[in-house]
Amino acid sequence: MALHLNLLHEEFLEQRQRQRDPLKIGMMVLGGLGALMFLYYMWNAYKTLEIRSRLNAVQHDWSKVEPKVTASQKRSAELNSIIGTTRVLDGMIDSRFYWAPFLEKISRCVALNAQLTSIDGTVLDDGRVVNVMIEGLAAGREPRAAAEELRQLLIEQLGQIYYEVKVEFKTLEDLDTLANIGGANMAMARFGLSVVFNPTAAAVKAPSPSPKAPRK
Amino acid sequence: MKKLNLTKDQIQKLLLSSIGFIVLLYVYFTFFLGPLNRSRDSMLVSINDLTGKVGSSKNEMAKATNLEKQATAATTRFATLKTLNPEGAPIAWFPPRMKAFFANLQIDKATARLEGNVPFKDADLADWMRYNWMLDLPQTDFATVGKAIAELENAEPLLSIHHLNIRASTDEPQFQQVNLNVATVMLKR
Repeated sequence: MALHLNLLHEEFLEQRQRQRDPLKIGMMVLGGLGALMFLYYMWNAYKTLEIRSRLNAVQHDWSKVEPKVTASQKRSAELNSIIGTTRVLDGMIDSRFYWAPFLEKISRCVALNAQLTSIDGTVLDDGRVVNVMIEGLAAGREPRAAAEELRQLLIEQLGQIYYEVKVEFKTLEDLDTLANIGGANMAMARFGLSVVFNPTAAAVKAPSPSPKAPRK
Repeated sequence: MKKLNLTKDQIQKLLLSSIGFIVLLYVYFTFFLGPLNRSRDSMLVSINDLTGKVGSSKNEMAKATNLEKQATAATTRFATLKTLNPEGAPIAWFPPRMKAFFANLQIDKATARLEGNVPFKDADLADWMRYNWMLDLPQTDFATVGKAIAELENAEPLLSIHHLNIRASTDEPQFQQVNLNVATVMLKR
């Protein structure tokens, strides 16, 4: 067996130790990792720049659209306000009580032997109730009957266009004075009539009872 | 497996490398990648937000266009109602207008007196006020006042008569005296 002598043993050991130097290996690993991280960062930065350009494009689009949107929102609000206001005003106009037809009906009820001296009417409960006080004089052989005739006529005439018509005497008294009608002297009576009615059908329909459950 | 024998010097270097590695990671994530990701995320949120706004803005504008078509009647009606209110304070123009109105119907000496004004509680009528007036017609007759009231109710849609008093004139029995309490809805001036 041949004897093999390694005279460079120490040099080899030193070289091996240099190659296994942890700091050197660590630095290499760090360098590698750093390179990878740098590449990853660059990739992210590239994507971020791309997103920024997209954002700029969207912002540009929005800046073009925004004034139109703001104007249309303002106009929508204005139109909604106009629609709401008009609806409320139309409601108020429609729910008004018109006195002219009422006065026309009154004028149709007053016969030659009756005279009205005062009409005092008030609209109550937002137009749901109208209360009228009518004062006047009636003449005839039976002046009270003439006044009653007027009351009946009022119920009939007002009942044609209004609801829940109530016409009641508040006062009815004979007078001592006589009235000359058609050359004949007639006795007179003074009357006061309370007229209450509902001008709208809606208020009449409102309190209708709810349907009852069927009986078993 | 060959056991790794490290010298003290090597262990120190290994520790130093580890510390360097940790510092590198910290710096990388805290000062480089972190802000970049945050910036990207915030930009993505902004893009989504703006895209949503741009998308909804088309609907918004379409709605406004449709509303404009639907509200044609209302806007015309509103404009008509507004024209019933001339410029200026109602106390300045309403009494003369009433006087002229009744004078045209052969009712002289008509006067209109402002009794008060109140704002509406309804939010839709925030720009409008209710004015209460007392109209005095000291010398008229039943038929004429009936026609005048009919004309008034038709000509002034925003006017409503709340109280009416017709009584025989004590001095001249052929005439009647009339008081009307009216409320008008008018624009705030």
